[in-house]
Amino acid sequence: MRTTRRTVLKVIAGAGVAAATRPLFSYGATGGPPLKIGILAPRSGVAGTVGECGLRAALWAKDRANASGGILGRQVEFVVEEETNPKDTIQRLNKLVLQDKVDCVQGIVSSGVSLAMGPAAEDMKALTLFWDGTTQDGTEESMPHARYVFKSTDNECEAVMASLLAIKYWRGKFGTVAGVNPDYTYGRNNWAAFQALLKRFGVEHKVVAELWPKVGGLDLSSHVAALKAAKPDLVFSSMLFADLPIFMKQAHAAGLFETTKFAFPAAGWQHTALKNDFTPEGMIFGHNTLYFAYPNASPLQREFVKHYWDAYKDYPNWEAERAFFAFAAYKTAVEKAAKVKGGSFPDKEAIIDTLEGIEVESLGGKARYRKDHVADQIFYQGFTVHDPKYDFAILGNVEVRSAEKLQKPSGMTFKDWIANGHIEV
Amino acid sequence: MKAAVWVGLGALAALAAAPLVLEPYPLTLLLQFFAYGLALLGLNLLFGYTGLLSFGQALFVALGAYSAAVCTRKLGWHSFELVLGVAVVVAVVVAVPIGLLCVRYVSIFFGMLTLAFGMLFHSFLFKFYLVTGGDGGMLVERPSLFGMRFAEMDKTMFLTRPFYWYALGLLAVGTVVMWRIVHSPFGLHLSAIRENARKAEYLGVEVRRLRLIAFVIASAFAAVGGTLLGVRTGLADPELAYWTHSGNLIFMTLLGGFSNFAGPLVGAGVFIFLQDSLMSFTQYWRLVLGVVLVVIVVLFPRGLVGLAQSLVARLLRRRRDAHAHRNA
Amino acid sequence: MRTGTSRSERLDPFSLVISFLDILLGGVFHAAVLFLVAAGLQLVFGVQKIINLACGSFYALGAYTGISAVTWALAHGLPRGLFLFALIGAGLGLAVVGPPVEALLRTVYRRDEAFQLLLTFALVLIIEDVLRMIWGANPQELGNLYMHYGTVGKGALTVPAYNLLVIAAALLVAVGLGLFLKRTRFGRLLRATAEDRETSATLGVEVGRVYTVVFTLGTVLGTLGGALVVPTAAASLDMSVDLVVEAFAVVVIGGLGSIRGAVVGALAVGLMRAFAVSFMPEMEMLSIYLVVIAVLILRPAGLFGKAAA
Repeated sequence: MRTTRRTVLKVIAGAGVAAATRPLFSYGATGGPPLKIGILAPRSGVAGTVGECGLRAALWAKDRANASGGILGRQVEFVVEEETNPKDTIQRLNKLVLQDKVDCVQGIVSSGVSLAMGPAAEDMKALTLFWDGTTQDGTEESMPHARYVFKSTDNECEAVMASLLAIKYWRGKFGTVAGVNPDYTYGRNNWAAFQALLKRFGVEHKVVAELWPKVGGLDLSSHVAALKAAKPDLVFSSMLFADLPIFMKQAHAAGLFETTKFAFPAAGWQHTALKNDFTPEGMIFGHNTLYFAYPNASPLQREFVKHYWDAYKDYPNWEAERAFFAFAAYKTAVEKAAKVKGGSFPDKEAIIDTLEGIEVESLGGKARYRKDHVADQIFYQGFTVHDPKYDFAILGNVEVRSAEKLQKPSGMTFKDWIANGHIEV
Repeated sequence: MKAAVWVGLGALAALAAAPLVLEPYPLTLLLQFFAYGLALLGLNLLFGYTGLLSFGQALFVALGAYSAAVCTRKLGWHSFELVLGVAVVVAVVVAVPIGLLCVRYVSIFFGMLTLAFGMLFHSFLFKFYLVTGGDGGMLVERPSLFGMRFAEMDKTMFLTRPFYWYALGLLAVGTVVMWRIVHSPFGLHLSAIRENARKAEYLGVEVRRLRLIAFVIASAFAAVGGTLLGVRTGLADPELAYWTHSGNLIFMTLLGGFSNFAGPLVGAGVFIFLQDSLMSFTQYWRLVLGVVLVVIVVLFPRGLVGLAQSLVARLLRRRRDAHAHRNA
Repeated sequence: MRTGTSRSERLDPFSLVISFLDILLGGVFHAAVLFLVAAGLQLVFGVQKIINLACGSFYALGAYTGISAVTWALAHGLPRGLFLFALIGAGLGLAVVGPPVEALLRTVYRRDEAFQLLLTFALVLIIEDVLRMIWGANPQELGNLYMHYGTVGKGALTVPAYNLLVIAAALLVAVGLGLFLKRTRFGRLLRATAEDRETSATLGVEVGRVYTVVFTLGTVLGTLGGALVVPTAAASLDMSVDLVVEAFAVVVIGGLGSIRGAVVGALAVGLMRAFAVSFMPEMEMLSIYLVVIAVLILRPAGLFGKAAA
């Protein structure tokens, strides 16, 4: 890159301006060819709406960045590929890295895919920021020393929070529990976390049913019938795909809600489909890292939610926040790393070093990456209420917790953390 | 016939030279082509020559990939020669009982039985996740080729140079082996069975035994293809065994032309590159592929190779006629 | 607040029976929908000897069209209680799809069965993307509309009335089809053509017309099944591919070409799944495949089938 006098002056001026502005606007201007970010998100199927939400947020973040000069003066372009099953998604990753030669890969929503894709991305030395993917095998980290891959918060965060809320508010009020979790690694993680926490806090309980509906299965009547037969006091479910509203509908129709408590750590993905007429009040309901109607939301979140409504007549789920965080973290890291190197565009290794420990202002509040490449974010869960302003269930009482209190720390196994870690209800 | 050999050698040389000319991504696509080429050589023996349409061939492809995963990841056996051996043995061991059950039937029933077995395996891979890794699949680690680890190369380099040539070699060997099989008395008997099973039986051909052998050979080829796929992706996952994957295998065979030896190879190549370019071009690539399949089935049942052959024949005939006309 | 039922409470015969009935009803509901699709498959196979891999695609088409039809009708003044008729209308209206598809299949009719199978596989791919083009890639659903008909029963045994309606509809179709095939002239024509095409043709039967009618009827059964099920669930693009396997299980168990077989097969698959989910979740689909394989080996014609191996 030619460092002309004009460029140097621009950098100095830009730095001056940047010092006075908020972190999200670009720092200096190096100029140059467009920056390519590869996006891998589901476009169809049971996670289609989720992928779409994340993509919309990523586009918003990109347009905002481009409007103020891009990243270090380079405009940002997306190359979007579809996330489907692990094998095909890895091939799409190959294409993004080898053919499109993207500077960074962001995306991935399914734990099964991310678990398989992590090693592939590491092998290709492709800087990858997962939106919602982790590389947990069960509840344990399978890639503790990742260099090129940055992962989202551990799968157990939402399960731990929901469990803690259940213990805090409902201890002594339930004796039998049933689990209805999607039949894949994420569902298994969540259920394991729930049970481990009940055990750790000495909550007496009996598991009367453990159901594993097939991911994407649209016929849940057998599961609802099995649940009814088991008569649980509390149902814990990490269902989160398009089958969740179907389950609620059918469970409601079968009369399941009258005497049972519900804890749904991941229901927020489908929140607009969980209509008031079949979603009860008083459910523990998780919105992960973005609750669109949070009363104390930051101006950034308010701006985004308003934009989302104006553009799409819909309300975002937490995937938007994950996508925004990945983009913002990358942008901030590039700009910070550039400052260290006197303004020239940093190389991949420098960006990675800067990403470790970075903290940015994301839609849901302050978010950061730990040194071990796992994200640390703020989680929002609460109890559902029916508000006439919306035809779907929203939260009444909102609890806010930081992931530091909800996921195992670096280097510790889940079992150890549950047994010995500092966890407060 | 001679022409075919020259064409084959020419293709081999071009493919061998590809890594020096092409970018890494098209080379990974070619790797896929080698893998599917092998699987299809086997499927064509079963379908083109024996007349049995199996809707469960993907089962053996998956078996190959999972064998590679178990060997390299769980057992620590990284020698690719050993992995290939294990994959073939596993495929044969599974194919024999399934084959014994299936070859008693023909056409639809054979197709449905093989589909059921394929889906049974898919369900098993998915549900018994403690053993198989479930929906996330099982990782396949980098193998050593003839004892050489190439540790200093990164994955992409490994895949696009040493592993590429190894896979190309495997395909070449597989092609020669299949050629010999097809032109052997065994192969001729298979064609006879396809034409008219009862007559063949009357003439002393042991129909069931030969069908079983064809089934087992096809499964071995599919498994070898599966190991190549597993190494290339670095993963063995359950979707490899889903019935639509078997459907794609048949599509490829038909695309190239199943009554022809080279057909499946052409079909595999065209399908892979077609699918890849379509996927980047439009969301609606399934529609295009579907229409292509309709066109092939309705208008060009002998596939691309068949089409090419008839075009060539027509050209030659026209030239001969013109020649004769001139001399008349 | 109930703190948990005691062991004796849970094991009392009354609640066991209720639970059993619950699971049974769930299984029967699923069986009703499966029957509709499988009956379509059976009809087409019985007469034309074609196995339609796109049966699941027609099912999905019915589901999506049903949603659009209901949404449109309600927006144009149809009273909520009559939404069922919008669905039935959608399912029946899709009959227009039958003749063109059948015409396409006719081009390969005389060829090897493999070609027919592959042509229907091509349809699976095409229809999926057509659905994607028209309705987008995200699952669609009708909210809680079906609860408009309320529930039947009290206390522990409550069932949505809609589910009972669907089961009743499937029964009606089963009986109706049976009567149609046995008692009406066209039905007898159908069976004759199925038995012996050539002779029927020489006897003056317009085989081509029969085929078109049969295929269309088969298609409509599939689209109707999809339209009827969609209010309780949702329409998604994966539906088509997933249903094929179950539909196949039904026709294999019941026997190719037999409507009675479709009833029995559907009940078998629906109930097996329902009970497996409650008692042996790992075996849910595995059990079905194992039964399919067992039937194919021990009695390849299925329970009521006529086709020889």
